[in-house]
Amino acid sequence: MRRLLLCLLVAGVGTFGFARGAAAYPQFQFSSGTNKCSQCHYSPAGGGLISSWGRSESGDTISMAGDGGFLHGAVTLPAWFAAGADLRLAVTRTDDGGDESPQGAWFPMQADAYLRFAFGDAFSLYVAAGARGETRPVDESAGSRLVGNLGDRFISREHYLMWRPSATGPYARVGRFYAPYGLRFVEHIYFVRRYAGYELYNETYTASGGYVADEWELHLSAFTPPPSSFPDALQSVGARESGAAGYFEYRLNGMAALAAQGRVGVGKEASRYQGGLVGKLWIEPAKLLFLGEADLIHQVVSAASYSQNQFVSYLGVSFFPVRGVMITPMFERFQENISVSTTGRNAGDLQINLFPYAHCEVVLFGRYMKVGQANQPAATLLMAQLHYYL
Amino acid sequence: MHNPPMIPRRGLFLVVAAAAALIGCGGTTDDRPAKWSFISATITEPSCATVNCHSEIAKRAGVDMHDRATGFDVMVNKGFADPAAPDDSPVIKLMNGQGARRMPPDMPLPDADILLIRNWIAAGATNN
Repeated sequence: MRRLLLCLLVAGVGTFGFARGAAAYPQFQFSSGTNKCSQCHYSPAGGGLISSWGRSESGDTISMAGDGGFLHGAVTLPAWFAAGADLRLAVTRTDDGGDESPQGAWFPMQADAYLRFAFGDAFSLYVAAGARGETRPVDESAGSRLVGNLGDRFISREHYLMWRPSATGPYARVGRFYAPYGLRFVEHIYFVRRYAGYELYNETYTASGGYVADEWELHLSAFTPPPSSFPDALQSVGARESGAAGYFEYRLNGMAALAAQGRVGVGKEASRYQGGLVGKLWIEPAKLLFLGEADLIHQVVSAASYSQNQFVSYLGVSFFPVRGVMITPMFERFQENISVSTTGRNAGDLQINLFPYAHCEVVLFGRYMKVGQANQPAATLLMAQLHYYL
Repeated sequence: MHNPPMIPRRGLFLVVAAAAALIGCGGTTDDRPAKWSFISATITEPSCATVNCHSEIAKRAGVDMHDRATGFDVMVNKGFADPAAPDDSPVIKLMNGQGARRMPPDMPLPDADILLIRNWIAAGATNN
């Protein structure tokens, strides 16, 4: 009961705060006994609101105790309606070698609500809405961090209509969401999200279709940024690119997967043509899940008559020593220009996810990053998050 | 009935994943153009115009760097770039963390990028 009260307290505090993407935990594919992301999420590519199966898994398999159902199982929603929310509060310490380093901060990281309405057996409407984050408030007061400019920070990152007649088989959806690509981590600071077109709030208006089978899945998408005439609540941040993306994943024996992917994003000043591979491997006896992604990006800056090749990658291994604990050391690399060695970034990270009670998560994250030349000072980031999902 | 050959498959996945994550190096010559059109698209927009900082919807400290035109306006008309003293330009000091919080605060830029911006300023800081 104490843990439940603590979780609800965190939720109450976090309700006023904000930001970050509706992505998923690919670390739970295979390791939780589920074969594909869409077993636990309504989205065919994973991420966002979790299904009743996902809620059961979150309580029975992922967390140490508790009921993963809506409102901890106190309320049973009708089959045509699903709802949820994500609330996060974070504390950080950064040291980048500057004159004012190190610096500390606390901020509300995320407050998003999700609604899903089903119409018959095949159609559904999904809406996610919340408030943008306030990692650097106008002033240092708690009020500024929690509710400052709240009206201006309202945003709906996802809203789409979907046709999906069954859990496996074909689907189509249209609206605002990320075109499926890559490992689709919840952590937007991972290089494979930040530098591959999936920065926070970079969701596009997308038409996507595909097929999800037990052993493979295919997602094909065409996307465009929100029109500039749209209000801020529907705008995106980051590169404004129109284009297409494809992701094909083939799974083996419920313990491994290999995926190939491609993406073209054409912008006003610059365009990106990229492709990559994703690998996943679960070793049950050792309770280890390996995840890897690597992408090559050909960037054309037409206005400068110059093009360059970039490389971004992730390699991590998640260890599940006991139920409710996930420990992930990882390595990340981004090279802004493959021909210029001093444009590289390497990061060694350690992340510990604790799930002491259903709906509650504590995330501890540390990053040691080297940028550019060897004599540049290292940058470090320490972060603790409290996460509650409804 | 026999067991599937798991070990070779595991080994293949590990090799592919490790190789994919570790490659990438490059040469020492920087032939990138010191042009604002390039710097804006490849350095300042992705590094500075993030959701909580200098994006169009956040405009932290009144600074909007979300595209080439707005970024150029900030750099030149708000005095962040000083062609008369490129090394002392406020933007260079900010990016080096000299006397101020280092920018961008979450992801420092490589010295090569800062030098490229410095060279653009020294060449007149035009919207080229």
